[in-house]
Amino acid sequence: MTIASVLTILQYALAPYLWLIVVAVVVLLGAQLIARLGGYRYLRHKSVVANGLALVAGLTGLAWIPAFTHSQLAYVATAFDWVVMIAAIIGLAIFALLVFHPLSYLLRARH
Amino acid sequence: MSQNQSSSLDLNRRRFLQLSAGAGTAALLTSTGLQAQTVNTRAHVVIIGAGAGGMAVANRLSDRLRGGKITVVEAREIHHYQPGWTLVASGVWEPEKTTRPNSQFMPPNVDWIRSSAAAFDPDNRTVDLANGDRLSYDYLVVATGIQLNYEQIEGMSADLVGQHGIGSVYASLEGATRTRDVIDQWIDTGGGQGIFTHAPTPVKCAGAPLKMTFTTLSRLEASGKRDSFDVDFFAPGGGLFSQPWVNDFVKQRFDEQGVQRHHFHTLTAISPQDQQATFTQQDGSTITRDYDFIHVVPPMSAPDAVRNSNLIAQEGSFTGNWLDVDIYTMQHNRYPEVFGIGDVIGAPLNKTAASVKAQAPIVTENLLAAMQDKPLPRKHNGYTSCPLITSIGKAMLVEFGYDLEFLPSFPFIDPKDESWVTWTFKDKMLQPAYYAVLEGQA
Repeated sequence: MTIASVLTILQYALAPYLWLIVVAVVVLLGAQLIARLGGYRYLRHKSVVANGLALVAGLTGLAWIPAFTHSQLAYVATAFDWVVMIAAIIGLAIFALLVFHPLSYLLRARH
Repeated sequence: MSQNQSSSLDLNRRRFLQLSAGAGTAALLTSTGLQAQTVNTRAHVVIIGAGAGGMAVANRLSDRLRGGKITVVEAREIHHYQPGWTLVASGVWEPEKTTRPNSQFMPPNVDWIRSSAAAFDPDNRTVDLANGDRLSYDYLVVATGIQLNYEQIEGMSADLVGQHGIGSVYASLEGATRTRDVIDQWIDTGGGQGIFTHAPTPVKCAGAPLKMTFTTLSRLEASGKRDSFDVDFFAPGGGLFSQPWVNDFVKQRFDEQGVQRHHFHTLTAISPQDQQATFTQQDGSTITRDYDFIHVVPPMSAPDAVRNSNLIAQEGSFTGNWLDVDIYTMQHNRYPEVFGIGDVIGAPLNKTAASVKAQAPIVTENLLAAMQDKPLPRKHNGYTSCPLITSIGKAMLVEFGYDLEFLPSFPFIDPKDESWVTWTFKDKMLQPAYYAVLEGQA
């Protein structure tokens, strides 16, 4: 498979969700940028709440990721199914952390 | 924005993407000697049909021919993603998700004639079109697709799909949508007899009759009244699927899910008003069964224009019904300037979009070799693929070839496993991959 074919397939696959990707990127960059302008640095700020929320956000993927694919969690059955599902959950949790962590800094700074 | 403008933008985007990716890989390809060679020619290549096979070959050839002329004959303005029709008929996808304008995929440097083939004269290298024109060719690619012969079932016609409890995923996009509706109506009644059938001929997507049974079972179970519905499957032969392991699996699963199997029963007549179906058995005797819902799979063949020409198979099991090609080189067995691709060819398997993905590069390379009087370099192994849906939400990625051995594309997906990831491929990724095939990119 060539690079062109991979790009073509990805382009068709992602096109319906382009708006969602844009929203996610704006939210991520917005939270990071605003917090950083206020002095936020990831390693210098600790937030148990943000970590917990990120974990919860990732775990909610167990419910809605199968539904998003017109399926159900009971059909996540093979080892590879679980590898993909766990990877999706980890990705979701990291995204949530990168949003919630700077937000927690901003909230704490306000108080 | 007009359709023309939209198409132009799509085309520009597509060409930009190809050029961008091409620029990035050109050095690598050149250094490894993998860059596709162009062929200088004055030949006129006519491609009949712009379904998956015709469109894929048109795009591949248009990138490779210099100086030649390519004419594509296709009457339809809309391209249907037919592998999505089972999901439409099962209520998973909206019908609109399966259509795109043909102009989005048609290469810009071909002559597109909005018509269809009415007659072939391979001895004089001409094709008569439905619009009255006559086309001469130096090389011909037959990619007409398949003909649905509903009328071979007494009392049946495609117009009946959606009425009197009759469904048929094959009829058309509208037919698949009406099939969804008639299944909905049946489930809403809270019980009754459902009949699923298979055809006595090779059919496109031979897994579709099984998928429709499995997805309907899934919906019956979801209704909470599964025990109020009787489901029977009538098959013309002793098997349900070409690949032996999958055949055994489906039989066992049907038995486990309470589907009564009736082998060596061919649907030969239907009485829509009475909602009765008649099946002919091996000994010629018939039985008639009442139904509340029936899924009809029509007998299929090459289109009449092919059947009535010298291009049709004249010996062997495909006689009179399918295009006579060498199943390995895809070249016509008697007319070396003619190639076939897709559903129309006489082959034991291979009536799927996945088969077209495998066949398109072979047809292209072998046709280019034939133009240069070189030996045909490529052979098709019969690769075909069926994401066999076993319930709404899980599927098996069944890939195999002429020898019926599994040919898995991904080492991490076992073709014998029912999997959510495989279902997700079907739901989210195979349509993008199909469009890449149309563009000659995969």
